[in-house]
Amino acid sequence: MSARREPAAGTAADAPDRPDARNQPGGVSRPDSRTPPDAAPDAGAGTDAARERLALAQTALLSALVAGTPAPEGFDRVRLRVQSRALIAKRADVVAKVAPELPEILGAGYRPAFVDYARHRPMSGGYRRDALDFAAHLLARSRPQDPAARQQLTRWWRERAGPRPLSSRPLARLARAVRRVLGRG
Amino acid sequence: MERLGTGIGWRPEIAAEIAELPGVDWVEVVAENVCPSHLPDALQELRERGTTVVPHGVSLGLGGADRPDAGRLAALAERAEALGAPLVTEHIAFVRAGGPLTASPRMEAGHLLPVPRTRDALDVLCENVRIAQEALPVPLALENIAALINWPGEELTEGQFLTELVERTGVRLLIDVANLHTNHVNRGEDPVVALDGLPLDALAYVHVAGGVERDGVWHDSHAHPVTRPVLDVLAELCARTAPPGVLLERDEDFPGIGELAGELDAIRTVLKEARHVRAA
Repeated sequence: MSARREPAAGTAADAPDRPDARNQPGGVSRPDSRTPPDAAPDAGAGTDAARERLALAQTALLSALVAGTPAPEGFDRVRLRVQSRALIAKRADVVAKVAPELPEILGAGYRPAFVDYARHRPMSGGYRRDALDFAAHLLARSRPQDPAARQQLTRWWRERAGPRPLSSRPLARLARAVRRVLGRG
Repeated sequence: MERLGTGIGWRPEIAAEIAELPGVDWVEVVAENVCPSHLPDALQELRERGTTVVPHGVSLGLGGADRPDAGRLAALAERAEALGAPLVTEHIAFVRAGGPLTASPRMEAGHLLPVPRTRDALDVLCENVRIAQEALPVPLALENIAALINWPGEELTEGQFLTELVERTGVRLLIDVANLHTNHVNRGEDPVVALDGLPLDALAYVHVAGGVERDGVWHDSHAHPVTRPVLDVLAELCARTAPPGVLLERDEDFPGIGELAGELDAIRTVLKEARHVRAA
């Protein structure tokens, strides 16, 4: 719930999957995941089939919470909506902390605009990237309507994501990230 | 289990208050929020005074379907070394999904989400914990999280799930009594029953935090005062075992030093009363 404790997306290296690290000799996965643990210790037993089933279940749930896909079967839909709103509210809080200029520029419109942006757009990188994506999303829709505010937001976004940022590498990376987002339309 | 004593979650906003608070034996820092080569001065000063500092990670997602990321594990290990910590802690949670296993885009939750208490999830978690233990220079303890949602089709109780996790991996437990209260309000899980099922021999320390109830849902906000029901769960825990450490967490809407001191005193009172009861 709090800005201090959320998983810091994108702050650590996002290493690619390492197939060599997979503990699955000969590609054989344990056929029965219910085998008692004393009979089949994890090491060498292979968790790949369990991982795939768990991945599908967790992805369906998270997708319902952050991407607006239908609720997976068996979940309390009211509770899912409460959780979904809580996730967006927390994301809005953290973005406001890493980019305090955005709530300053957007004023009372910050939160509703962020909720509208985030409802169907899962976060895939860190919060700074999310802040830039949010600004780009608004500008692409000619928002905010107030021209002065829009100009301020444009300047804010350009300073951080412009085509020729001040040579420093983190800025160049951010710019590439934003170009990717814009490229997706 | 190493004795930690009574502590408080170190946050930059209350660094000055923590330096002044009497009887703070140890602090916990959010691992992802500290840079090992540039520790904040206030934290460095606490270390020089002999205050133990424990890094508390939030981004590993050990309950997720993927194996833990080597870069994130190395970062956590580096923080444990830099802080001279006796242990590191993380959560039993998943924080991201999607990716190659599901041929879908990767999504970050930005929050700790509950793991289904199933055999599959337990097998995956146990292997992930072993991978983490191998990468870390000190023991690992894992925290039970607060949940708003229930998974359908769960096969194990929380007690069974945690007991088997401890037996299979030797991992220690960080029990958050506010999260037990949260799961009571939100999922109808009686904290007394939950505590009876927990392998408390593996207890590393306890978290205490405040929250707020809205429309029948407990929000574990860490932005409100610690309430009586949460202290009652702490008392229930202390009636069963003497926790090696207890830590107060406050993350938002920080109160003055007086209120923080009062909450720490309330915790110490519960510990003291439980000592008398256990001795009787």
